[in-house]
Parts: sequence; C-alpha cells; structure tokens
Amino acid sequence: MVELQNVSVTYSSGVDALNNVSLKINDGDFAFVVGSSGAGKSTMIKLLLKEIDATSGVVKVNGYNLSRLKKRKIPEFRRTLGFVFQDFRLIPTMTVYENIAFVLRVIDAPPKYIRKRVPYVIDLVGLQSKTDSYPDELSGGEKQRVAIARALVNDPQLIIADEPTGNIDPELSYEIVELLKLINDQGTTILMVTHEHDLVRHFGGRIINITGGEVVYDEVIMGSGNELLPIEDEYSETPQYEPPPQDIEPAYNEQYIDDIISAIIDTSSHNKENTDGGEGD
Amino acid sequence: MKLSGLKYLTNQGIENIWKNKMMAFATFCVLLISLLLVGCAGLFYINMNSMILGLGNQNEIFVCLFPSTPQEYVEQVDSQIQQLDNVDSVVFIPKEEAYKRMQHQITQQGQEILRYIDDSEFMPDGFSVTVANNDKIGETTELIARIENVETAQSSLQVAEFLRELRRVVTLIAGAVIIALAVVSMIMISNTTKQSVYSRREEIQIMKYVGATNSFIRTPFFVEGMVTGFFAGAGAFFITWAVYKSVYDILMSQGMLMSAFGIGSLIPFNKIQIITAVAYLLIGSLVGAAGSTISTRHHLDV
Repeated sequence: MVELQNVSVTYSSGVDALNNVSLKINDGDFAFVVGSSGAGKSTMIKLLLKEIDATSGVVKVNGYNLSRLKKRKIPEFRRTLGFVFQDFRLIPTMTVYENIAFVLRVIDAPPKYIRKRVPYVIDLVGLQSKTDSYPDELSGGEKQRVAIARALVNDPQLIIADEPTGNIDPELSYEIVELLKLINDQGTTILMVTHEHDLVRHFGGRIINITGGEVVYDEVIMGSGNELLPIEDEYSETPQYEPPPQDIEPAYNEQYIDDIISAIIDTSSHNKENTDGGEGD
Repeated sequence: MKLSGLKYLTNQGIENIWKNKMMAFATFCVLLISLLLVGCAGLFYINMNSMILGLGNQNEIFVCLFPSTPQEYVEQVDSQIQQLDNVDSVVFIPKEEAYKRMQHQITQQGQEILRYIDDSEFMPDGFSVTVANNDKIGETTELIARIENVETAQSSLQVAEFLRELRRVVTLIAGAVIIALAVVSMIMISNTTKQSVYSRREEIQIMKYVGATNSFIRTPFFVEGMVTGFFAGAGAFFITWAVYKSVYDILMSQGMLMSAFGIGSLIPFNKIQIITAVAYLLIGSLVGAAGSTISTRHHLDV
C-alpha cells in the first residue's frame, strides 16, 4: 500500500515540486500517474523510492513510514519493491540471467532457488532464447521485459514503473503494459508513471493526474480496450484515444498470454507452498 | 551473509577485473608505479644507511698496552675487550707491527730520528678494535681504557659524530621523499580508483535500488582492488628484483668504490627479498582494496 498524507517537497533551489499531496493506493491496485514534464511525477517516484525525503507530510509504502525510516533500513524497504525505469537500468556487464538473479543474490537467496526462479521469470516475459545475452544485444522492448522480470523476481508487493514505455516503440508499449496488467491481476500493486495517454485510455484503471505539484485528478476509468468509452470531464484535456494500428501484431498471441497467466498462478501457488512448507529454497 | 553469498561476491570481484579490464589495467599501472617509487626510495634509504654504518665500522679504536706487558696479560686484555657488547672485531697489533705503522705515519723529521732507533722494543703491543655500532664508539673506548694494563684507548669521535649526523640527514631526506612519494601515489591511486568506480556509478545505483546493502556493493570492489593491488605488488617486486640485482652487480664490480664509499656494505637482494616481497604484496593489496572501497562511498548515497 502507498499512502501520502499532505506531502510537500521543496528543493533547495526553492522550487515546490509537490504541494500538499494526499493519496492512497491500495494493495492490488493498478494506478497510472500522468502529468506533463515538471509536474512532480519524478519527485513522487523519488519519494517512494526513499531517494529524497518529503519536506513535510507522511509517506508510507508497504508498511514502512518513509519519513521515519532509518538509512540502514532502506535496503530492507527497497526489497519489498520492484522498479522498472524508462532507461531500463540493466547492468551492462551482466547477462539477462545475471541481471535478474542479482536481485535474489542481494537478499542472499539460496543458489538452488535462484537457479529455479530466474529461468521461470525469464520464461514469463518470453525471453528464454535471450537468457545468456547481454543488454546491448537486446532491443528496447526486450530490455524492458528484462527489467520487468527483474522487478518481478523478488515477488514484490509493489512495482513502480517510471515511464516504462518511454524508450520503446509505440507498438511494444501495449505489450509492456499488458504484461504489467497480468502481474497486477495476480495481486501485485502497480504504479505506472506515464505521459502516454493512449495507453491510459486503452487500459483504463485508476488515473492520478499531477499538475503543478498537485493532484488535480484521481479517478478510475474504464479501459477502452476494443471499444471507446466515455471519459471523465476532468480528464478531457488529454488527447483523444486512438486505438493501436490494426496491422501491428502483438509480440505474443492469446495462447501465450494464457500461458503467462497460468505460469503466474503456478508461481504464486509455488511461493505459497514454499512459505507454508518452509522449504527455504 | 551466507558462504554462498560471499563466494558469489568474491567471484564477482574477480570477474569485474576482466569485465572492466581497461580501468583495471589503469589502476594496476598506477599502483605498480606508485609501489616502485616508494619501494625504490625505501631500498635506496636502507642501502645508504647500511653504507654509512659500513663506513662507521671502519672507524677503529686504537688500544695501546703498557710497554713490556707480559704475554699472558695481553691475552687477558684481548679476552676482556672481546667480551664488551659493542665490539665487532679485535685484531692484535704486536709491537713490531706498531713500529712499522709508526714508520709510515711520522713526518720526514721523525724519520731522521728513527734512523737511530733500530729496535721496536720501546713500542707497546696493542689492538685495533672495530665496533658494531659506531654511535657508541665513545662509550666503548672509555670501557676499554678502564681495562687493566691498557695505557691508552683512542678513537676518532669526530668521524663518529660526522657519520651520525650524515645518517640523521639521510634519514630525514629519505623520510621526506618517501612520505612525499607516498602522498603523490595515494592521490594518483585515489584518482584512478575514483574514475574506475565512477564509470560504474550507474551499476552501483541499480544495486542500491534493488535493495543491496553498502557492504554487498563494496565487497566486489574490495576484492577487485585487492587482487589488482596484489598483482601490481608482484609486478613491482619483479621489476625491483631485476633492477636491484643489475645495479648491485655493477657496483660490486667496482673494487675502488667499494672501499671508498662503503659500497661493500650494500645489501645483497637475497637478504631482503622476502621482506620486500611481503611489503609490496601487502601494501599493494591493502592500498588497492582501500582505494577501491573508499571510492565507492560517494556513489552509495542513493
């Protein structure tokens, strides 16, 4: 759960990046954060990552009160999150496998579990054939799928995606959000910052619009999917929805999505078994 | 941290050397040069010191016994001198030898007088004593002078004082040079390791974002720096060995220089090779590890 109570952030330069922001994102939600450049989206992300502190107000994420969180507890807190960045932020000297396994090594996971879990999430994002490739050998979409796999491998409660579609082809953007939606369907809270309104309209869900450091809109809208749906007045300033071009073939078909869903269900039950059974691997 | 985790981080440190080979090579070179500069200055100093000590050992105490001291008492004095702490060697100088020495040393006018003396009986027996520590030659001379049947014991305190002063000056200059070189080396090493770490700052930030602790991030850098430093130390040792041996052989082949400047007191490399190797490897590893680890600190605050 993410909760901001009357949060303000003023930088040392005197710029008010966030101004008395209050919002709550419940467990299992999928929320889009939209807004123009300089609106305060990045500041909010930095706050949620405990990269900066709020000037005033309370920030709570996954049960941690970030306003009071001690420095030495930051690694522990960050292990409850998954991050997906616009620029992927993969370690260039590590293979796809190593980039993902690294997260588990940070938490000192047993090698046996790493050997089992990492190929599993690689399968999940459809990159089996790229396991031993280095980031430089991947396309933008593939890099982002690796980033999502890395965010997912630790089974986090919350995934924060900062413009995850910003550096990839528009047609692949749908694929990435679809993947995040599938992860969300299994109970992981997703907070996705984007300025791509087409995506927001297509998928729908909770939309938080930040402008001038303030939340000016926070509603749930129906995703248009295959049909256009009425849009709230407050959100009407955004460009009109344009469906993705029909001639673009998604990178995976419906059968593949079904496979992913089954796989996620499997891994959830597998994790539950591990937790209940205390196998420890 | 579990053993598997430690093993992984150690392996990562070693792998990183290869993955970042250009920066690792730069660090290696800077460490190698720094170690050579400081190491050579250190070796130069200990050899200078040894040479000065060698010159000091040539400073003798001349001991004269009372004329006509019986032979058994001469041997007794010999034995008593030998037992003194600071005494390195005792050479008996019979009166005949003393007479010959006097003949060589006295002036032209004195030579005229000696023409009328054809007997060395008036000369006393004596000893030439060298000391282990030239700084204490004055005390040793006094102790010898107090021995029964010793008439006089004399040494050149001025030479001793000069050599002591020379050693002090050499120590100060060498110390200052070594410290200056060490500081310059540390700055060079620090800048190189900072650059090496800076080129991987994004990697460090990613590690921080996924919840890595500072020690988890630092350990591979520590291993990487230590291994690079170890190899730089090994390289410095072999270069020093080759250069030292060549210079030593050249100088030792100069017989005149050996006696004039105490070059005979130069320390052969086999006497210092173990301590040199240990110092190079240890200092190389420690400086490499510390430089690398400290340089990460700036980037850990994410």
